[in-house]
Amino acid sequence: MWSKSSSVVVAYVAVISFLVCAYMCGYLTPLFAGMNIHSDYNLCCTALILVLGALAYLMGAGLPAVMITGSLGAFIALSWGQEPLIRYLTLSALLFTIGVYGMTTSRNAVRVLMSIELMLNAVNINLVAFSRYVDPGFVRGQIFAIFILTVAAAEAAVGLAIVLAIYRNAQTVDMEKFNLLKW
Amino acid sequence: MGDLSELATLASKHMETWLFYLVALITVPFAFGVLLDRNIIRAGFLLIGVFGGISALFLLLQAQFLAMAQLMIYAVGITLVVVIALMLTNPRMEEDKSPSIPAQKAPAALVGTLLFIALYMAILSEGWGNNSEALSPDNITIIGYSLLTHYALPFEFASILLLIALVGAVMLAKHDHFNSKADIDEIEEETKEISERNEHVVKV
Amino acid sequence: MTSSAVPYNLNEIGKFFLLSGVWLGIIFGAVWAACWAVGMLVPQLILNAYPNDPCALNVANAIRLLTPLVGVMVFIPINAMYMVLAERRGLALFTVRKGPNRVGPDGFLQTAADAVKLLFKENINPHGGDVLMFTLAPIIFFAPSVFGAIPLLAAVTSNHDLFKIVNLPTGIFYVLAMSSIPVVGIVMGGWASNNKYSLVGGLRSAAQAISYEIPLVLAIITTCFLVGSLDVVNIAQMQKGTDNLASFGFLNWNFFGAGAIPHYLDLLMQGKLEGAQVVTSAFWSLALAFCCILLCGIYLTGACAEINRIPFDLPEAESELVSGYNTEYSGIRFAIFFLAEFTNLFIVSTVAVVMWFGGGATPFPGFLDANTFASIATPFNQALAQAGLPPLMDGQTMSGAFWAIFKTYALVYFAILVRGTLPRFRIDQLLDFGWKKLIPLSLILLLAVTYIRELV
Repeated sequence: MWSKSSSVVVAYVAVISFLVCAYMCGYLTPLFAGMNIHSDYNLCCTALILVLGALAYLMGAGLPAVMITGSLGAFIALSWGQEPLIRYLTLSALLFTIGVYGMTTSRNAVRVLMSIELMLNAVNINLVAFSRYVDPGFVRGQIFAIFILTVAAAEAAVGLAIVLAIYRNAQTVDMEKFNLLKW
Repeated sequence: MGDLSELATLASKHMETWLFYLVALITVPFAFGVLLDRNIIRAGFLLIGVFGGISALFLLLQAQFLAMAQLMIYAVGITLVVVIALMLTNPRMEEDKSPSIPAQKAPAALVGTLLFIALYMAILSEGWGNNSEALSPDNITIIGYSLLTHYALPFEFASILLLIALVGAVMLAKHDHFNSKADIDEIEEETKEISERNEHVVKV
Repeated sequence: MTSSAVPYNLNEIGKFFLLSGVWLGIIFGAVWAACWAVGMLVPQLILNAYPNDPCALNVANAIRLLTPLVGVMVFIPINAMYMVLAERRGLALFTVRKGPNRVGPDGFLQTAADAVKLLFKENINPHGGDVLMFTLAPIIFFAPSVFGAIPLLAAVTSNHDLFKIVNLPTGIFYVLAMSSIPVVGIVMGGWASNNKYSLVGGLRSAAQAISYEIPLVLAIITTCFLVGSLDVVNIAQMQKGTDNLASFGFLNWNFFGAGAIPHYLDLLMQGKLEGAQVVTSAFWSLALAFCCILLCGIYLTGACAEINRIPFDLPEAESELVSGYNTEYSGIRFAIFFLAEFTNLFIVSTVAVVMWFGGGATPFPGFLDANTFASIATPFNQALAQAGLPPLMDGQTMSGAFWAIFKTYALVYFAILVRGTLPRFRIDQLLDFGWKKLIPLSLILLLAVTYIRELV
């Protein structure tokens, strides 16, 4: 009834959820304390999640499910119990990384642009978090974010216009086929 | 009715952490969906989820103005433009067999993980001068004041940038009709050649 | 023929007003009762049952916080039912027909029957469409209109204690941001239907909403410049007229230049203006009033396009696109689209009322104002107090709500009149009108208002 990959995915999701819940309730601390690695429990837990993710992928689980579950688990493990500013910065780093991944791997040019928007947004979260927690009196971070918003809007308009122009000439937006300059 | 606002502040103190994690748990899968969904147009619509989640984060950070601007510009404006561009460049509404380039998947995942760990280490290593006093509720006034005094020059530059981007985008996206005379001449010559050839064929 | 048509139509007009009165009474009473029950009755009962219990206090306060949401939730369906009926009967008036008049006494219950019919229809998923997006689209179209309208509640109830909490510092900007979201729902629904008419309707809607949002926002921002505030409660209260000449009744509304005209009249009467000042000052006040009337016009035009009303209903032009973006919808999903359309009409009218027509202020000082309503409310409140229940109404809130609803429905009837009068635009005419006429005009007005404001 279950295909092998989906059962691996379900098992992986269950294990990660259990791990994260146990970590949030503090049950994992003694486990890592026995390992004696600088007492960086959050990093140990993340490493565990990553290793499990790689295992699940090798056992045939789909990449999207592994990536979503693994990154969420790692994010919670890394940010739980930290100060609010660090929580926000970690989330922003995660979104930025997702953007980088999408930008380097996407086949469709418009998807690359969407990934860039994602990265710009991650930077915005950073700036707004700084303006909230580092200098609440003058909201300099928010003003910077407003400028980024403006530039992102301009970038989206021009970028999409370029993609449309390319599509008209090449009849495709596949990033692998824009190799006119290749000799 | 002072208890009402008291309750609100009390709730926000305890709720902020949970709300943050709730928003994060919604936003990150949406972000992955944007990259990995096989149906590219649905991926475009998923952008709304990401931008809406980020707008909610701004609200949690007490940046109401920015949250609203994010909603208006990103979640509606840019998403709509992206979706329309997706529809124009994918007229047959095909599904991507593989949204990512296979050869680059593994290295990109590795680089991404390393980048994330590096960023996290950098974040932790810095001792932020934490200052968690609440933002003044009328920070929209402060933003407006600073934009027109300290940041007046960048503000003006931003307006010029937007104007240039507007004109540039229109020029780039405009369909080239056969405007220039050289084009028309070329086409006429081609048609003449073709018709001559056809006549030749007919004669033979 | 004409001689018989006139009294016949008068009769119909009378019926229309009767119907409107009854329905408005139902709406007003239901919303008021719901807000009273949630905001006052239930908390008081809880506190009476568990006195001195901090947990009960928190629960009571949490329920009190829900009042605005409950008010809106009760209001939206009843209001949409009335508005559909009013629209059909109103259009019938303009075209000398009778309109729906069979269900219930004289067609009073027509839309209730329609609603029941829609709810029991089958939900059909189009073949090859994206079911998830297809289901999400009506929700995305509808939800912002519920949450976007909430700050306006504080403005139209004269900042009542129960509604104070929804008065956000970003005020009108929040309303604008929320009102820009529904277009995403239309595009989504159009695409997910897997139908070319729906898709064209959705794309038209996107083009239209993006281009008309600019003049709409500029008109509102210009008025905010003039008033110097983004806070809807503030804007509404600044327009409140007094019986002084310096801020007389309806002349103090933003529609007439945010108090420029009564201010001028006051100076004139006191003899503080000399020589040429009489003329120049009159000129500038009139110019400011003219600018404000134009701004209101731009807003109403842009709002019409934003909510896809005739003459801007190109996304659902039935003679070209079957029914546009909602061609494939049926059952409750279609009902949600329908509900949201009428709610949006009501909300843009409320925004106009708050921004230009004085919110809940009386047009003439002393006419149906807080004192009148307080004298109406006193016997009710005394009766309730004897039964040990919280007071049902207070004069100020009542007067504010009454006038706000009255003005809003006046604008809604205006929209119905426009629908009965104007033909539909062509898509190129529509975009032309937006980009080449409305946007330059609103930019010019922005400059003019900031300049004239200093001269008045």
